[in-house]
Amino acid sequence: MSLKTKLLLLVTISITASVGAAAWLIETRAHEAFRQVEEERTATLVSQFRREFEHEGDEIIRGVETTAGSDQMLRTTSELANGAEYANYVNEAATYAATQRLDFLDLIAPDGAIISSAHWPARFGYKQRWFLDRPGPMPDRAFLKHVETQQGSVLAMLCLRAVRIHGLNFYLIGGRKLDAVLQAISPPEGLRVSIYSAPEQGAGELMGPAKEDLSSPKAMELIQKVLAQRSEAAATIDKGADLQEEILHAIPLPGYSDRVPAVLLVGNSLEQELLLEKRIRNISLVIAGVAVFIGVIVSGVVTARVSRPIRKLAEAAGEIGQGNWDVRVETSGKDEIGRLAVAFNQMTQELIGQRERLVQSERVAAWRELARRLAHELKNPLFPLQLTVENLLRARENTPEQFDEVFRESTSTLLAEIANLKTIIGRFSDFSKMPAPQIQAVDLNEMVRSVAQLFQGQLNRDPARIGTELQLGDVPQVSGDPVLLRRVVENLVLNAIDAMPQGGTLTFRTYMNEKFAVFELTDTGAGLTPEECDRLFTPYYTTKQHGTGLGLAIAQSVVSDHHGHISVSSRKDQGTTFHVELPVYSAVTAVESGNGNDGPKFTTI
Amino acid sequence: MKRLLSLLPAISSVLLLSVLAYGSSRPRYGGTVRILLHDRVMSIDPLSEEDHPAERDRLAALTFETLTTTDPAGRVRPNLASFWRPDPTKRTWQFQLHIAYFHDGTLLTAADVMASLAKSNPGWKYSAPDRQTVVIETPTPTQHMPELLAMPRYSIVKRQVDSAGATTLIGTGPYKLSQWQAGERAQFSVNDDYRNGRGFPDTVEFQMGVSLREQLLDRQLGPNAAAEVPVDQLRPLEQTNQALAVSRPADLLAIAFLQGDSSSRPGRKPVDPRVREALSLTLRRADISNALLQRKGVPASGLLPQWLTGYEFMFPAATDLQRARDIRADAAAYVVIAPIMLAYDASDPLLRQIAERIAVDAREAGIVVQPYGEAHVNSKTARASINADAVLLRLPLESVEPSVALAQRAEDLGLGDNVPAILGATRPEDLFEDERKLLENHRVIPVAHLPQAVWLNNTVHNWQQLPTGEWQLDQLWVEGAR
Repeated sequence: MSLKTKLLLLVTISITASVGAAAWLIETRAHEAFRQVEEERTATLVSQFRREFEHEGDEIIRGVETTAGSDQMLRTTSELANGAEYANYVNEAATYAATQRLDFLDLIAPDGAIISSAHWPARFGYKQRWFLDRPGPMPDRAFLKHVETQQGSVLAMLCLRAVRIHGLNFYLIGGRKLDAVLQAISPPEGLRVSIYSAPEQGAGELMGPAKEDLSSPKAMELIQKVLAQRSEAAATIDKGADLQEEILHAIPLPGYSDRVPAVLLVGNSLEQELLLEKRIRNISLVIAGVAVFIGVIVSGVVTARVSRPIRKLAEAAGEIGQGNWDVRVETSGKDEIGRLAVAFNQMTQELIGQRERLVQSERVAAWRELARRLAHELKNPLFPLQLTVENLLRARENTPEQFDEVFRESTSTLLAEIANLKTIIGRFSDFSKMPAPQIQAVDLNEMVRSVAQLFQGQLNRDPARIGTELQLGDVPQVSGDPVLLRRVVENLVLNAIDAMPQGGTLTFRTYMNEKFAVFELTDTGAGLTPEECDRLFTPYYTTKQHGTGLGLAIAQSVVSDHHGHISVSSRKDQGTTFHVELPVYSAVTAVESGNGNDGPKFTTI
Repeated sequence: MKRLLSLLPAISSVLLLSVLAYGSSRPRYGGTVRILLHDRVMSIDPLSEEDHPAERDRLAALTFETLTTTDPAGRVRPNLASFWRPDPTKRTWQFQLHIAYFHDGTLLTAADVMASLAKSNPGWKYSAPDRQTVVIETPTPTQHMPELLAMPRYSIVKRQVDSAGATTLIGTGPYKLSQWQAGERAQFSVNDDYRNGRGFPDTVEFQMGVSLREQLLDRQLGPNAAAEVPVDQLRPLEQTNQALAVSRPADLLAIAFLQGDSSSRPGRKPVDPRVREALSLTLRRADISNALLQRKGVPASGLLPQWLTGYEFMFPAATDLQRARDIRADAAAYVVIAPIMLAYDASDPLLRQIAERIAVDAREAGIVVQPYGEAHVNSKTARASINADAVLLRLPLESVEPSVALAQRAEDLGLGDNVPAILGATRPEDLFEDERKLLENHRVIPVAHLPQAVWLNNTVHNWQQLPTGEWQLDQLWVEGAR
């Protein structure tokens, strides 16, 4: 990925992130503001409900207290206290309830027996002791409780008052259905109110005009939570359709005991808020989209301007990397990029100078090394030559009678040493005049097998007997000069034999890797150190007593001329392995290449 | 002597007051007697299917007479029949007729009686040895034929069909029907030619379907002579010393379970007998009688009241909630116990309260009873067409003869299979056994026996009410009548 692309991407991401963050912030703030408004609306409605609740409670208290204090009630309770039969007063409560507009009114005896019930006259005689069995004083205020009626349990707001006469307490429990409180509330648009009635026995039910809308599994879950925790809670109810969400506030309503008899549900439809939030979001997205688009265009232009000199620097560096040391970059501007270009040009100039100095010093070193090796090689045969000539001269002066015999011996020695000199000079000549490979298809396995067979006699010679092992894989023909490649293999075999003076095993292996046919030769000799491995292919470097140090250098030169690669791996005392990778032969490329001197072309498999 | 002289003024005062009292209590002819009825009567035909047969019979008794009648002491007296004679087997009864005339002036004959009785009871055989003698032959012995024939359903009615097909009912009673608005108003004019002498009032007028509130207003303000009063309203009237005529607790208040498979109750199964028994055990009859009936009713355990049979106490009526729960649980192991739909007469607030109390009591044993008001529940025809499991019925007592009364109640309750045996019972033990059989499967659960009550204006005299609650108004007269 180019610098320009990276910069463009970075700027685009930055702009997008910034705009997105701003849009998110706006939406979040708007959402919070809407929620605050929603909570205020709900709080207002709850406050209205509580006012109505208290007002209704006051009305009920007034009605029950008026009844309890009436002359007729005092007369009735007086008669009852004096032993009058309860049966005579079975229908008393209905009259009082009608007068005070109470939905429920029970006149209860001191032992809890119902003397008269306005809402369920047939229930006379049955005991109602929940307020007698309750610990603590009787509730002074109106409270919620479920009242048993003929139609089932009904949630009511009740007031309990005692009528004390002749030392006996008679009780009046009066109240109204909670429906009246609900009906008195007029919720604003979007708000709905319902009451969940939770009787002590049996299933609960929703009351009020919005009961159908507020009944859902999630609402029921919320109600159960409030009933269990006895504290207010809220939940968002998804009503399925788009934008049909509602925040449901559930508020526990107090009863005469710790148990929550009912839950006030205030549903606040989020339709308008969600619509508004959606609009804000859409506007934010449009603004963000436009901002990102403009940002990308602008950043594209800017990054193009910024990255152009850097790109040219990179191109110049690439050229230098490919060996084109003459490349230069423009030095426009005085900013960091401009200074970088100047520095680059200076660095390039300096590198060129250093390279020339390095080549020169290497050349000198090579000549020195060549001269040292040449002197060393030539010095060995020259010393016997000198001795032989001096011996001849001494024999002619001191022992002329033995001169002929000495002459004959000396001339043979001279000829041998001269031949030796010729050999040395020939090797140096060969190294200096490496022939160009004549490329053709070579059966690598066959060649390896032939070389192994050639050295079989030498390898089996005692006492340093060397075993061979051939692990030849299915490799195609390689592209190369069979004579030169054979010399490489033979050279490697000779080195291996020298590395195993005590005998061992020599393994020939061929196989294919991803691109090349590979030949490996492994010995079980003393192995090489890493330093020795690094220097092994350097000309005139040798680890042997006898040798020119040119064998592996020549092998590397041959393999390199074949566009192959030779390497060595070794561990001390564990043997050494040479790896030779050779390109696979292709008839088409061989034909196209025509003359091998022009250098073959290779197809990678 | 001195002492006698000193008492003379006091004796004179007593004599004077007695003379004055006699003068004010002497019957007077003329005037109109207005009577308020709570229920509406649609026909005065004694054989008509009426929701309120007791009221129907009160109207019909002015116009139609039976062969025999019952006096206020409950004894059978001759009426249209002058005397009667059974054969030893009590299967054949011979009645000799009085000389009597229908309101159209025709003489009452044995043929008229046979035609009328054949309508009332087609199962009997009738014959007329002469114009004034009627012989009735029954398939089984009937011990109390005279008491049976005193029942209103055996009234002698001459039915005349005119050319338009309309039937006119003609009787022999002290009053003739002069104006008729079904369910609203009935006016009877005195029969001047009545064989036992002319009635005192010229007219007797009935206003029907008057609510309790209207009754109270009219009692205080209107010129009414009498008005029916529900038993739960008696106490305040008694406290204000109003004149009341209250019968013995004769009416039976009972839960009658309907049988399944009627056309109006498709797929509705009869209530399981165990559930019926459990329901019976939940009832707090004493509470119902004491509170709702204001002690004017008595708890009922039998179909006939204790004062009539003397053996009602032998039927169990105690509340036993634990046993009721056990029986219900036992039933629940075998059948699905559905709520019991209990219908009651929607026009009677007292029945509504009692039905609701039954539901409250039943709830204590886990039995769900759902009371609801029906416009028509009392007649068999009406009961066959309502979609209820049971009906809360108020059945009038039609005879003071136990076997006749039991037979009639069995028939009214749809348990008429044993009627011949009941009518043939000669000993109280047999009657007890018959009644026990009627009650043993709890198809009928007696709740209470109720009296019938009438408020009377102080100007009304000789208002006679039989123990059954029936009215006998032939000697009625009103003060200040013109």
